[in-house]
Amino acid sequence: MNLALFIGKRLLTILITVVAILAISFIMMRFAPGGFFNSATIASGLGTLALQNPHLYQEYLQMFEKQYGLNQPLWRQTLTYVWHSLTFNFGTSFENPSVPIITQLKTALPISALLAGGSIVLALLIGIPLGVIAAVKRNTWIDSVLTTLSMTGQAIPSYVLGVIAVLLFGVWISGILPVNGWGTPADAVLPIVCLSAGNIGVITRYMRSSLVEGLRQEYIRTAEAKGIRYWHIIWRHGIRNSLTALITVVGPTFAFTVVGTVWVENIFSIPGLGTLLANAFTSDDIPLAITSVYILSLMVMLMNLIVDITYSLLDPRVKLR
Amino acid sequence: MAAKTLAAPPAGLVRKTKRPRFGWWSRYRRNKLAVFGLGWVVLFFIIGVIGPWIAPHNYAYTNFLAANQPPSWQYPFGTDSVGHDMLSEILWSVQNALEIALGATFISFLVGAALGLWAGLKGGIADQIVMRLVDFMYAFPTYFLDLILVTTFGRGLAPIMFAIGITGWAGYARLIRGLTLRLREGEMVEAARALGSTQRHIMIAYLWPNVRNSMLVALAFGIPGDLTVMAGLSVVGMGLRPPLPSFGNMIAQAGTNVLGFPWLLYFPAGIFAITLLSFLFVAEGLQEALDPKGGR
Amino acid sequence: MSDPLLKVENLRVEFQRSDGIVYAVNDVSFSIAPGETVGVVGESGSGKSTALMALLGLLDANGRVTGGHAWFQGADLLKLNRHQLEDIRGRDIGVVFQDPMLGLNPTMRIGDQIMEGMLEHHYASMKQAFQRTLDLLAEVGIPDPPARFRNYPFEFSGGMRQRVMIAMAIACEPQLLIADEPTTALDVTVQMQILALLDKLRRERRMSIIMITHDLGVATNFCDRIIVMYGGKIMETAPLDEFLHNPAHPYTIALFGSMLEPDDSEDWELHPIPGTAEPLLEFPQACPFAPRCSMAQPRCQTEMPQLRLFENEHWIACHRAEEVMSRAG
Repeated sequence: MNLALFIGKRLLTILITVVAILAISFIMMRFAPGGFFNSATIASGLGTLALQNPHLYQEYLQMFEKQYGLNQPLWRQTLTYVWHSLTFNFGTSFENPSVPIITQLKTALPISALLAGGSIVLALLIGIPLGVIAAVKRNTWIDSVLTTLSMTGQAIPSYVLGVIAVLLFGVWISGILPVNGWGTPADAVLPIVCLSAGNIGVITRYMRSSLVEGLRQEYIRTAEAKGIRYWHIIWRHGIRNSLTALITVVGPTFAFTVVGTVWVENIFSIPGLGTLLANAFTSDDIPLAITSVYILSLMVMLMNLIVDITYSLLDPRVKLR
Repeated sequence: MAAKTLAAPPAGLVRKTKRPRFGWWSRYRRNKLAVFGLGWVVLFFIIGVIGPWIAPHNYAYTNFLAANQPPSWQYPFGTDSVGHDMLSEILWSVQNALEIALGATFISFLVGAALGLWAGLKGGIADQIVMRLVDFMYAFPTYFLDLILVTTFGRGLAPIMFAIGITGWAGYARLIRGLTLRLREGEMVEAARALGSTQRHIMIAYLWPNVRNSMLVALAFGIPGDLTVMAGLSVVGMGLRPPLPSFGNMIAQAGTNVLGFPWLLYFPAGIFAITLLSFLFVAEGLQEALDPKGGR
Repeated sequence: MSDPLLKVENLRVEFQRSDGIVYAVNDVSFSIAPGETVGVVGESGSGKSTALMALLGLLDANGRVTGGHAWFQGADLLKLNRHQLEDIRGRDIGVVFQDPMLGLNPTMRIGDQIMEGMLEHHYASMKQAFQRTLDLLAEVGIPDPPARFRNYPFEFSGGMRQRVMIAMAIACEPQLLIADEPTTALDVTVQMQILALLDKLRRERRMSIIMITHDLGVATNFCDRIIVMYGGKIMETAPLDEFLHNPAHPYTIALFGSMLEPDDSEDWELHPIPGTAEPLLEFPQACPFAPRCSMAQPRCQTEMPQLRLFENEHWIACHRAEEVMSRAG
């Protein structure tokens, strides 16, 4: 199958998925106790505004009714909502009706993308060498220390690491790195480090087991018989093969990385999509909540698509499905 | 070549049933981290049962006169900003954590088992549908679905348990479908059938130990995962609704107060982290002990 | 005889296993002249591969050389460090392994794998190595080298892969080629093609070949001289003619007896050797073949027979060699 057809098929799958998620979320929220999308809820959300500026209040009310088609049957409402979301016409949030959601996304998304992307890059930069060291020194104390550390990184969620980092750098050795807010590059350091710990564990353990397995293959002996130097064999016949398949391990971590981004942003008070999402959910700001879930999910799915394409280009044996 | 190994018997099933009954324990015991983890997990379960009885206070007990106290003899783990005794909070939290984690894992397992069996036994379109769903649930951050479900159904014990359970079945479905296919097409079944055993006999004698071990390992990995998600809901303010105590709430709360009152963090975060690690050590240990072909 | 290309003296190899030490190669000595082809024959576990791999430093991690010398180009291979051995492997001594399905890196182009050795040894520049690889592919009988250069191993059949393995092994024009069961994993018809290819190469290049095989038929069809190994020791060695006419070790005779006779003559009976070759967990003090030998005497169980020289460069390690010879003669 050629690449364009493959990408087309995958994009179609993503589209169907997204439509399903949007529709299900919308209907569930619509029927949630408290009925988020009915006029009364919106009215209560805008309650103070009604007193201060009745004219503006009416305007917003009409705007919401138009955006969500609140007077129409449910299926129309759902279709309207899905269509608007797909065309990035998110309307405005309840909490902040004067700022369109798309404007909020434009500042928040790059921050989250930076954190997620940065943490994956860092995890690769640290995890791959650690895995190689563990494999080359397999069954020594170095190996067991690295394996135990990797398991620890995998087990302890980023939000626990986050609060520990806040304690460490905020109280015990304060002043070295900022533990709160966003603005300077230094602000990204601790969040990215906490976020990458889990992936470092995954990648280290994968690289170790994959390389140990790879170095057991017959073709390693063939390379030795050709007189190839030890480290050249490790690199050309071991690491390179492991790296290709590493992509299949990194892909599934995206979902968890993006969720971790949400957590870490909340711990470090970073104004990204995760903080937006948390605020939206805790204040019942449903348009914003569903939109942030939609965008974050889309991020995960597109990252996975890129990974699959890369993998098929790297490994000659992989045929696109 | 010296040291040529014989080919393994088909599917490696026969050897497993012939092992001495407690062979797995002697292998498990060799992994010291797994033994430590098991000890901690057992303690955690005991506290989960008796915690509310031994707690000095009810979780809802507040004493504003004793707010923000550092650890002392009276409050060994200190108190928080409204005067909750942190020790009592933690003792109660263990029960909540276990209820939700075990319940959610159980729900996930039931759903996964049902779908996996259906896919594995029926094959064809059923299999296609289930595997597509599984692929989707794997790639999709199901945590967001949990958030939406919790928003809709509330932030009590049961809704959270249900939300995490109903979104976490993908791994079990894949596992059980795989096992089902192996049972259906496995060479060992063929061999046993050829020898004239009854189907029932086949299931019990050859296949059950293998299936049981795989499921046990999967469940052991599932529990810490569900604990992580459960507390993760609290991080964005959508966990168990206070005053119900939970590790997630304590950690999230400590995160905002850590600069002034760090003891609010030490005990909940420390105990939670050790618990997650212990569950993982146990799971890894079980995998190693029960299935020497997998893992390392 | 001219100076030997390789002269192995009293080689010993041990493996450390969880159940003890395995004595895999015990006091093995042999030599090979330039241009000569020697067949090393034995069952699996006889130490035949281990002995040769030990010379190249290619033992598994739990194996080690515990004694002996291996003189090659004025140096003792067993005393060289890792780098020095890496220089010799592939450049001066090439190796072809048994299983061409597993022996090639599945993710690397065939051509790159052949070029790799030449570049590593600075035997050729990039451009020369490329041209030479095309020549080599043609030489080992692979059609359309420019296209095949870019193929991956999975696009080749087993016989074709073995040809690639051979091309890799001879890329730097080694003086010695060690072929470790090069035809065992192949179909019978392909086996013949590979043997014919090796035969052509050795004549054109005047390359010495050590052919390790469990197949007495392959060895006697291909080699100038045969070494029979059992239990990590050399049992018998002789030039091909002498070996075929006067096999004088009970094990050799048993090997011939267990061969399927191709011409299906009527008086031929198949005589499998009773028992199996067990790994030696103690240093052998007696004839390792004695437990399975039909001619064993009490002496064979207690005293190690030494290799003794008979007529026509025929060496035999058996207390009863004379009786065997007279009986067969």
